[in-house]
Amino acid sequence: MGEFAALIHNENIKIYSRVRTWIMLVILAVMSALFPVLIYYTSGSDSSIELWGSFQITISIAFFLNTIFTVVVASDSVAGEFTWGTIKLLLIRPWSRSKILLSKYISVVLFSLLSTGVLIAFGFASSAIFSSSTGEGMATAASWSPAEYTFLIIMCQYIVLFLTAAIAFMVSTVFRASGLAIGLSLFIMFAKNIFISIFNPERYEWAKYLIFTHMDLQGYLVSKTGPGGVSLGFAVTILAVYYVLFLLVSWMVFRKRDVST
Amino acid sequence: MIKTTDELEPVARLQGVTKKIGSKTLVGDLTLDIPPGQIFGFLGPNGAGKTTTIRMMVGLISISRGDILICGRSIKDEFEEAIANIGAIVENPEMYKFLTGYQNLRQYARMVPGITKQRIDEVVELVGLGKRINDRVKTYSLGMRQRLGVAQALLHRPKLLILDEPTNGLDPQGIRELRDYLRRLCQEEGTTVFVSSHLLSEMELMCDRIAIIQNGRLVDVKQLKAVGNATVPMGETLFEVDNAEAAQELIGSGTLKSGGLVVEAAREEIAEINARLVSGGIKVYSIKMLSRSLEDQFLEITGGEGIG
Repeated sequence: MGEFAALIHNENIKIYSRVRTWIMLVILAVMSALFPVLIYYTSGSDSSIELWGSFQITISIAFFLNTIFTVVVASDSVAGEFTWGTIKLLLIRPWSRSKILLSKYISVVLFSLLSTGVLIAFGFASSAIFSSSTGEGMATAASWSPAEYTFLIIMCQYIVLFLTAAIAFMVSTVFRASGLAIGLSLFIMFAKNIFISIFNPERYEWAKYLIFTHMDLQGYLVSKTGPGGVSLGFAVTILAVYYVLFLLVSWMVFRKRDVST
Repeated sequence: MIKTTDELEPVARLQGVTKKIGSKTLVGDLTLDIPPGQIFGFLGPNGAGKTTTIRMMVGLISISRGDILICGRSIKDEFEEAIANIGAIVENPEMYKFLTGYQNLRQYARMVPGITKQRIDEVVELVGLGKRINDRVKTYSLGMRQRLGVAQALLHRPKLLILDEPTNGLDPQGIRELRDYLRRLCQEEGTTVFVSSHLLSEMELMCDRIAIIQNGRLVDVKQLKAVGNATVPMGETLFEVDNAEAAQELIGSGTLKSGGLVVEAAREEIAEINARLVSGGIKVYSIKMLSRSLEDQFLEITGGEGIG
């Protein structure tokens, strides 16, 4: 019944009609453009600033902001409808709850892609202007060119963001509270390194199966084995299992939920 | 309007509908048919289970036992087909406040195929939102949001319109307008309207038939207006006379009450009784209909109990 694309269109309108969304995107653009400038002017006159080096630093910082903003959008996607009470009008349309939730999830992923695009565009443009050399000769850990290496860093960072957003989406769907979803997923984002050091997979065998241990895949760019001596394939499998689990929980809870707000 | 047998099939059938949360039964074994082309009232005190029943009808909450058929389709098993026949407001009409009224309607229009811009304009016209439709919902009064709520419910020309306490927060003028366009909708488009309320006086003015619910159970279903050639119900009539005992003897029925005789009689019979009394030499000072108001009946039926 009807076009599924229309559902995604509806969700997009709900995201981009809000002033908040545009403020977040503008802040992200400004920050991404600002870091290369800061790096350029604070690094002293004698050292030359390389394009790719500057861009990589910018990415690693700006992705924090990008993750926070995506988490905010993901957390509000379902919880917002409950808070506003509009969920009642949304669910009495000739669409199954699964499809409505899917359209919401897709719109969140689309937002994360857009914000990442903004980050890359502004970060790269600014790095290109505020650098003294292209840094093509920059040494990388493996045999990649600086451009390839940067691309892989972006992919790794995006995977962390993608998983954090999935956690936020799940918490938002299960608890119908966007504040809790934002808080919990940001806590995970910042605390995952602490978790890794407490539950060191070198010492505890079971820690190999925690999601925190594997969220950041950047280690594999320089080494064949990751935390606890596991392979990249093992880490990706663990992440995929958790990801499917998060979505399954969201779907099951959303489909069965009694809406009585 | 020519009625076919198909159309006379109930628009909604509630079959032994039960909702339990834990050990508490919110709605118990509710069986009710809603005939087409009527304004059907759903009356009960606060906490009687009206909203719970409506939520089950639109699939917002699960049904513990029993089933609800909308135009013959089960809301449980064929949700998408069943819900397509329903337009509803459940409790307050909450909208996306950061969107305009028109943008809100576009949201719902996109979710059902075949709703044209023209139809949206038509519905806006019907509920009388006028130019304000292009303002953000943030700036709307409760009455305007109520109108917008009705507009979104009507967009896809549903066979069954379900309104939960639609007069809440409306001023007398607004209530009157709502009543008028529900009536128009019912007559012109043949839409069946299912409306809940705890206010009797309103239901009396608005509905063709009402179901009374209390403590989650159906207490009674009443026809309010004589439809077609249905018989006019009997009412109690008080004859104020000089000698009540003699009158009772003469008529052969009735009970004595406050200086008169109370007789259960249909309209035609009243004149006849009067004629017999007068020709029997009894002085009749006044004839008064004692038909109890719906409110009395309602209080009697529900026993004027508080929230169970």
